This record gives sequence, C-alpha cells and structure tokens, in this order.
Amino acid sequence: MAPLIIDCTVRYSVFELQIKQELALNGVLGIYGQSGCGKSTLLRILSGLNGQATGKVVLDNQVLLNSEQGVFVPPAQRNIGLVFSNCRLFPHLNVLKNLNFAAKRCVNRRLKTADIIELTQLGDLLAHDVSQLSSGQQQRVALARAILAEPKLLLLDEPMSALDISNKQLLLAMLRQVHRELQLPMCYVSHSLHELQTVADDLLVMDSGKVRGYGKIATMVHQLNELDEAAAQTSLCLTVAAHLPQYALSSLSLGLQSLYLPLLKDNMGNLLTIGSSVRITIAANEISIVKQATVDSSMVNQLPVKITTIKTFAGNSLLSVVCQQQTFFVQISLMSSERLVLSVGDKVIIQFKASALHFLGLKD
Amino acid sequence: MNSDLLALLTTLQMAAVSTFILLLIGTPMAWYLAKMNSRFKVLIEAVIALPLVLPPTVLGFYLLLLMSPQSLPGEMWQQLSGQQLAFSFSAIVIGSVIYSLPFVVQPLQKSFEQLGEPLLESAAMLGAGPIDRFFNVVLPITKASFITAASLGFAHTVGEFGVVLMIGGNIGGETRVLSVALFEHVEAFEYAKAHVLAGSLLVGSFVLLAAIYLLNHRVKSSTL
Repeated sequence: MAPLIIDCTVRYSVFELQIKQELALNGVLGIYGQSGCGKSTLLRILSGLNGQATGKVVLDNQVLLNSEQGVFVPPAQRNIGLVFSNCRLFPHLNVLKNLNFAAKRCVNRRLKTADIIELTQLGDLLAHDVSQLSSGQQQRVALARAILAEPKLLLLDEPMSALDISNKQLLLAMLRQVHRELQLPMCYVSHSLHELQTVADDLLVMDSGKVRGYGKIATMVHQLNELDEAAAQTSLCLTVAAHLPQYALSSLSLGLQSLYLPLLKDNMGNLLTIGSSVRITIAANEISIVKQATVDSSMVNQLPVKITTIKTFAGNSLLSVVCQQQTFFVQISLMSSERLVLSVGDKVIIQFKASALHFLGLKD
Repeated sequence: MNSDLLALLTTLQMAAVSTFILLLIGTPMAWYLAKMNSRFKVLIEAVIALPLVLPPTVLGFYLLLLMSPQSLPGEMWQQLSGQQLAFSFSAIVIGSVIYSLPFVVQPLQKSFEQLGEPLLESAAMLGAGPIDRFFNVVLPITKASFITAASLGFAHTVGEFGVVLMIGGNIGGETRVLSVALFEHVEAFEYAKAHVLAGSLLVGSFVLLAAIYLLNHRVKSSTL
C-alpha cells in the first residue's frame, strides 16, 4: 500500500496539532504519547470525524482531505475502520446483528462473517445482547465488526483501556493474528509502551500535538529512554533456541550467546515453536553489572558487553551497552557506577534473572 | 349521522392528520435543535414552547387574523386552494400542529441529545451514510420517545378547545370537534348528552395514555 501522507493542522483555544509526516503502512503502526498529546485527534482527522482540520490527508493515493481544494471525503465513504476505546456497540442489536450491520454495508465482501467470528472467538456469543457481555467480549465484537467492514486501514484508539491483563493479552495476540491473516494495515494508539511493543512494528511518537519521532519500534523505545530515564528499557526481537522444561525455562539466541527466560507458551498453553521470533522487553533497572564473569551468582543470564554511553540522572547512571550488536540499557546507582570506575569503552558483564525478561508476543 | 358521532369522527381525523404532520416536521426540528450550538437555540426553543403557557385563545386569535382572507397568508391560501382558510378543517389542523408542537419536539429533542454522537460516529465508520444512520441507529434506539411524542401530540390535539373554537368555529363535519360539541351541550343544558361526551373523552384519554405508558415501558425494558 502507498504510504499515508498527513500534512494537517487543527487549532483549538488551548491546543494545536500540527503534523507533517509520511507513514508506511506495511505492518502495525503504533502511535504513542501521553494523554492530551493529540493521538486521538490524529485518528479523528484520519477517519474524517474531525471536520475542523485543514491541510491534506492522502491514503492509498486517494485524497481524503485537501482543504485548499475543498476536498473532504465524509467518514462513511473513507473505507477506514475505527475501534473506539469504549466499544460503541449498537445497544438495540445483538452480537450477530452488530456484526451484520458492518457486513451489509461492506462493498467488497471478500471476508466470510463465520471466519471472522471464529478468529475473534465470538461463536458462543452471537445471540447475546451486547449489554450482557464483559468489556473484553464487547471489545472483541467491536474489533470483529470493524474488520467485517473490510477497511483499507484499521484505526484502534486505546482499545485495551478498559480491559484486565488476561483480556489484554488475548486481544493483543488476536490483533497480531488478524494482521497476519488478513494483511490489514493498522494504526494502534496507546500510552502503554508495553502494549505497543507487543503489537506494533513501527512507532510514531507524539508530544503536544507534534511528531517527536518515527521509526522501528525497538529503535523508538530506545530513543524514548533518553526522555524518561527512570522508565528506560530494552526492546528485543529474538528467536527461540530451545525449551528446558525441567527448569521451566526457554532459551533465546543472541548471536553466539543465549538468554534464558520463563518457559515460552502461546495462549493455548503450548510451547512456542523452536525458531519462531518473539518480542521481549527488559527494564533497565533489572540489569546489574559485574566487572568479571562469575559462576558464584544465581543470575542465569550473564552477557559480556561493551559500554557505549554513560549518562547520569537523579542519583543513577543509565548506561547503554552492546552485546552481539544488540544494545541493552542498564540502570545502576551513581554510587555503584563510581565504585566500579566505569567508563565508555570498558568491557564488563551484565547479569539479570530469567524472570526479568518479559515475553510480549510473537513477531511474525 | 348523529352530530356527536360526526364530531367524534372529525376529532379523530383532525388528531390523526395533525399527528402525522407533527412527526413529519417535528422530527427534523428536534434533530437540528439537538445538534445546534448557536445562541439562537434558546430563542427557537422558547418560541416552540409558547403554546405550553399561552392561553389557547391568544394563539387562536392571532391565527385567526393570519388566516382571514384580508391577511397575506389567508389570501394566498384562498388563491391556491380556492377556499377560505379560516373556519375550515385545514385551519384546525394547522392550529393543532402549532398548538401541539412542543409536545412532539421536546421529547424527541431530549432523546436525540441523550443519544449523542458516539453511536452515530460508530455507524459512520462502518459505512452508514446520514439517512442510513437515522433509520437504522437513531430511530430504533429512540423508538420510545417517538411513541411518547406521537401519543402526546395526538392526545393533546383531541383535547384542544380554545384554538379550534377561535379559528374553526362550530361547523358540523368540518370543524365541530368533541370539546366544542360538549361546550354546546352544556350551554343548552343538555347535561345527559354532555355526560356521554365528557365521560367518553375522559375514559378514552385514560385508555390511550395507559396503553402508551405500558407500550413505552415494554420498549424501554427491551432496549435497555
């Protein structure tokens, strides 16, 4: 699909959004920023629900907005889907009728309703009133309904905000599956980097109505460490090397090194296939540094690294280190940093527990 | 035909036609008022609400002046239809529509405001255009308020007296409605006939309202 071109301005009395950006829509695009930064406004501009924006929006070579030439394609004709954080299911229709509302108005009808019902696991709920559903179920109906309209682009505006952890994981895995099976480009808005690392391939970072950065998800997560040192983390994508069920651990390969983490299973409880790619994150404050390798440690993960940067903030040091071309971020106290006399270029060992590595999901 | 029976027929006919017209013009009015942000909104709302507080005879008096062949609207009507507007069936229908307008517009406006934008936006994102959204989202969800609006409009029109008397007079089969017939019986000391009319209006109105409240209750509990 041709890139999405946005060159837009919206002004309110206390807020201005100004964006000029071309976005590739090959995978899932994450849009990140704090509340009030303009993420949702951007989605409303793309969907046409914000009628006050001026400038240009071009999707798949179709001009959706060109305020100079007076072009404004109404939302119903844009063929863009939007899943709202509060679901917005039709209360007068049951689950199946909510889905059929979308399917009936779809022009192409390439998808079969039954397939999408299976994909979103709604088979048992079709005759239910939407008010009887849990918030997780409602959001799955909203997702299925949006997919059945067969949009060119699916926008998701903080769809997990009302869900508990297990429902979040289910829906995030479902989103990846939807993306994989239907090749549907998505823009996923969230203020949770955890969710975004699970689902997104690229990340657009917004702040006060402006774009602050755009790139691959891991690169952007590492750039964000600069802005918020206290929440610094390392975002990784590695392949599954082996399972060690006797220790309840799995190993991932990082070049010649191995990383160990709790046994990797999918939603159904099956071990992940050896060789599959997984998304992993580890917080900077979960990693410690020793100058020499030691066998007298309970830490299962020990990696030789080279220090590339050292930055001091609020009684702490944030170091970036490299192992097998993979950057890790490490946070240690200023006191330790001085005691160890660390400087850029030093070769040290980083170590962390298996439980410090968090499995986010499969990378397809 | 018995003159009271004729009055009943005229009344039902007037109320039915008025209710139909009220829904036809009241729905878009309520819709635009619900979506309106202009400061003129309160003025328009006040004008629509006027029949709630004005003595019907005041409204009737001004309508009579406007409908007379000497005034522009009255004259235009006469030239287009070939008949005088004042003291005709059309006159009492126009009068009832204006008189009952707030009873139709207010409940509809309130329910449209409550419905808000979220579900309409949701429908738009699924490819539903404005008319599609109205008939498949707005109408089914606000069904209860349409029933309320239609029945209040109908019942209020049946109970009308002052406006009809001012602009319709008392022409059998044309403008002589139940309330006017009742007044006539009382003036002529025909209390037995008056009892029949008053009693049946009372019971009829009660049955109508009770049926509506019951229906509304069922609709609400099935959609909520």
